[in-house]
Amino acid sequence: MRRAPVVLGSTAVGLVAILGFHTHGSTVSLVQPGGTSPAAGSQGSSTSQGSSSSASTGAGSLSSGTGPSGSVSGSSSTTPTTAASTAAARSAVGADEQTQYGAVQVKVTVVGSRITAIQTVQLSAFDPRSAQINAAAAPMLQQEALSAQSANINGVSGASYTSAAYIASLQSALDQLGFK
Amino acid sequence: MGTVVSFDVRFAPALPEMPWVALARARAALRRADAVFSTWKENSPMSCLRRGELELSEAPEVVRDVLELCAEARRWSGGWFDPWAMPGGVDPTGLVKGWAAQKALGELVAAGVSGALVNAAGDIASHGGPEPGTAWRVGVQDPFAADRLACVVELTGAIATSGTYERGAHLVDPHTGRPAARLASASVCGPDLALADAMATALMVAGEGGVDLLADLPGYEAYLIRLDGSVRPTSGFPIVAGAGT
Repeated sequence: MRRAPVVLGSTAVGLVAILGFHTHGSTVSLVQPGGTSPAAGSQGSSTSQGSSSSASTGAGSLSSGTGPSGSVSGSSSTTPTTAASTAAARSAVGADEQTQYGAVQVKVTVVGSRITAIQTVQLSAFDPRSAQINAAAAPMLQQEALSAQSANINGVSGASYTSAAYIASLQSALDQLGFK
Repeated sequence: MGTVVSFDVRFAPALPEMPWVALARARAALRRADAVFSTWKENSPMSCLRRGELELSEAPEVVRDVLELCAEARRWSGGWFDPWAMPGGVDPTGLVKGWAAQKALGELVAAGVSGALVNAAGDIASHGGPEPGTAWRVGVQDPFAADRLACVVELTGAIATSGTYERGAHLVDPHTGRPAARLASASVCGPDLALADAMATALMVAGEGGVDLLADLPGYEAYLIRLDGSVRPTSGFPIVAGAGT
């Protein structure tokens, strides 16, 4: 009998891989166990990542590219677990990522294995047009990252400017927290 | 410049092939598209073509395929989407991101996944739903408040949004060669993301009157947000009433 590539009892797994396109190789991936899968949702704890071994824990990770890469999984989301209510919120500020348009730095807050907030702590731009675009894009990126955990929305259609730097900073903040 | 593509893939355990393999192929499809069509890469075939260093007949076949699609989209859009009217030479960027995401989705569908959402930085191609019998729900960005949604749709197929707030939107009026945006944002959903992408760009430039063009395109619907913030959905635009906003 084939071993299922996802956690036993789960019939579906959500998988979010974010990769660079038109980028210079800085890619990360976000992995999310199936938000509505009871089995995945009950995992509750973060799991070790790396190659395909993570598949058996309900989350697969995919990372690629030559830049900083990593993976994140959050147990989510329709049924808040008791673990979330007892775990303390932890925050970290990510690396200051430079782009050709300016600098990006984010702060992330996690409770247990769930991202609860992403704040932009630095968003500079070298010209007014970039400033305007950054101001519009940052909340959208935040929404995109958070909506990856939301049961209500699976994505956002909108501005085509998203920043690999934003995600790189987010990833480094998550790394500091040991958030897998 | 960074553009990010995200995948959300749902599959049954009994899938004949590990979905990561299909995902790797989907990512490879995006990288190939980037390598060929990037106008940011000096030596991409597209860049060489634009500079006149490469004849169309010498270009990779996929370049001719995409330019054919561009010509088709130009016809459907009544000339409002026109890669040949771009400053600096022919530029299919307004269509190629959607085209690439649709190709990537095709790899996942071919692998038999039950649901897939490929989000190319706001232009989204989809298949199935997050769970059997459910549809993907996608928010349309509010062009006036970046942390709000204008509406939520239940997606069948693809949705593309063009707005004045995006970078590199190629919102150029083909009739004047000058930048133009006659709406705050235009979203188009339909079976194919390449065409939806091109039509969203066309509507931004054409303005509200352009919405009549969709009458000849079965399955394509639009959601326009005017410069004054008022909205105009076409009759079949799949809004989820009261959701999300």
